[in-house]
Amino acid sequence: MIEAMGAATVEQLGKIGRFGRFVWQTMLVSARSCLVPGTYPLIWTQMNIIGVRSVPVIMITGAFVGMTLAVQTYDQLASFGIEERLGVLINVSVVKELGPVLAAVMLAGRVGGALTAELGTMNVTEQIDAVKSMGTDPVQYLVVPRVLSCLLLTPLIIIYADLMGVLGGYFVSVILKGVNSQPYWSFSASGVELWDVSIGVIKGFFFGTAIAVISCYKGFTCKEGAHGVGQACTEAFVAGFISILALNLALAMVFKGIYYMLWPLKSLI
Amino acid sequence: MKKNTEKNAANAADGVVVIKNLTKKFGNNIVLDDVSLVIEKGKTTVVIGPSGCGKTVLIKHLIVLLRPSSGEVYFKKRRIDNLSEYELNRIRTHYGFLFQSGALFDSLSVAENIMFPIRQHYKITKRSGVEELVKIKLMMVGLDGFQHYYPANLSGGQRKRVALARAIALNPEVVLYDEPTTGLDPIRADVINELILKLQRGLGLTSVVVTHDMTSAYKIADRIIMLHDGKIIADGNPEHIRNHPNPVVQQFINGRLSEEDLAVLRRSGVDLQTRLTPRDSEQ
Repeated sequence: MIEAMGAATVEQLGKIGRFGRFVWQTMLVSARSCLVPGTYPLIWTQMNIIGVRSVPVIMITGAFVGMTLAVQTYDQLASFGIEERLGVLINVSVVKELGPVLAAVMLAGRVGGALTAELGTMNVTEQIDAVKSMGTDPVQYLVVPRVLSCLLLTPLIIIYADLMGVLGGYFVSVILKGVNSQPYWSFSASGVELWDVSIGVIKGFFFGTAIAVISCYKGFTCKEGAHGVGQACTEAFVAGFISILALNLALAMVFKGIYYMLWPLKSLI
Repeated sequence: MKKNTEKNAANAADGVVVIKNLTKKFGNNIVLDDVSLVIEKGKTTVVIGPSGCGKTVLIKHLIVLLRPSSGEVYFKKRRIDNLSEYELNRIRTHYGFLFQSGALFDSLSVAENIMFPIRQHYKITKRSGVEELVKIKLMMVGLDGFQHYYPANLSGGQRKRVALARAIALNPEVVLYDEPTTGLDPIRADVINELILKLQRGLGLTSVVVTHDMTSAYKIADRIIMLHDGKIIADGNPEHIRNHPNPVVQQFINGRLSEEDLAVLRRSGVDLQTRLTPRDSEQ
């Protein structure tokens, strides 16, 4: 039993080590590729596939998040007669937490799954070996454009999700529930700081990188056959989802610390 | 013994690719066991052997797509199995590799597939220059005019020919063929054989072909090597292999099971089959 536990531990450590090496290699090659003009068309193509085509689904997600928040919180605030403050509640929640996290989860499902399936299929049909055999680094050709596209576009996509979340909340609160528009916006403007919006957008850089790196790694290491590719896609989504939640917690703690450091008195007001 | 050593040393000097005492293990499974081999320049070396004997693993070591568990790989007297991937990429441009499945990029057209290595390694700024090169490579495999087709629209034989055009795109010195005729009808297989001969004779390429198609092997080989259970059990010209005394070699090249194996195969499961039919199991 001890032998089996030891073997399992060694295997898990090996997996972590291989993933760490893949991440390190991706970072190094990404930094180098930024200076190579030949990489730009590849990044551009991936931006279209990963970013542009994700916009509709992300906008729908954002809108429904905003609308649902408004529906759920209106009654409670209205019972205290402070329904005009609904905007602050909805918009802070959307731009700081729900918009970025749910947009990233949608991306993990839509883009992460597709990346793993594409690279996994290339792996099992020897196309990645073919790239290597022609003297090209597969990380540079296949991974870097995808990672850089996700890194650059996820924050922009989060802005779309935030915007639609804000509009969705406005639609339910003001148009459907009849909250007064002017105080709704003025409370929102005073309650939502640029800091809150920035946090959400900065999170996008981390979420995007995590989704792309995990998905590419799972594609590169998937087992043979249709079952292997399917399993890799599932694992990529689960790992991506968990890493988004974990990163969200870690970043929330870090940003909270920075906020207290920069504006120590604001939290007391 | 001394003569043999001298002969090996001379061969090693001529060898464009040399492997020494190569062992490859996957877990506890030993796929290649202390294999040494010298691939001679300008010759076609054919590696034969039953499925699962380690032929593909061997050919992938020649270009270091797989790293040995122990042993060494040399390309033009330079040891390459211990190089970093970055350094290996330069070495690999001297090789062409035709994969068993073709391994064409599905999302790219035929022309884009062949352009891929050219764009990665040649500094040709004019698109017309690259297109001209693609045209020449496709003419060599008899597929000029197929530039705008996608791999999904090609037959198995055409896919292999496009993959061959891509493999020779960088004018390699060594071309490695992994089961080039598998899955093709005899006529299409012969087209591939003729192309291998044309490239070897016309361009003076060194070829290493992994196959279990003996018609192909006899036609194209200058030298045939047989692998069995991870070891080389026969090595010589086609005539030598044809008359090899080892019964395992004879069984393989004649495509016949041994009498013992045949008897076991004929007997196995028959008793159970007669005792239990699907209808019995339904009841």
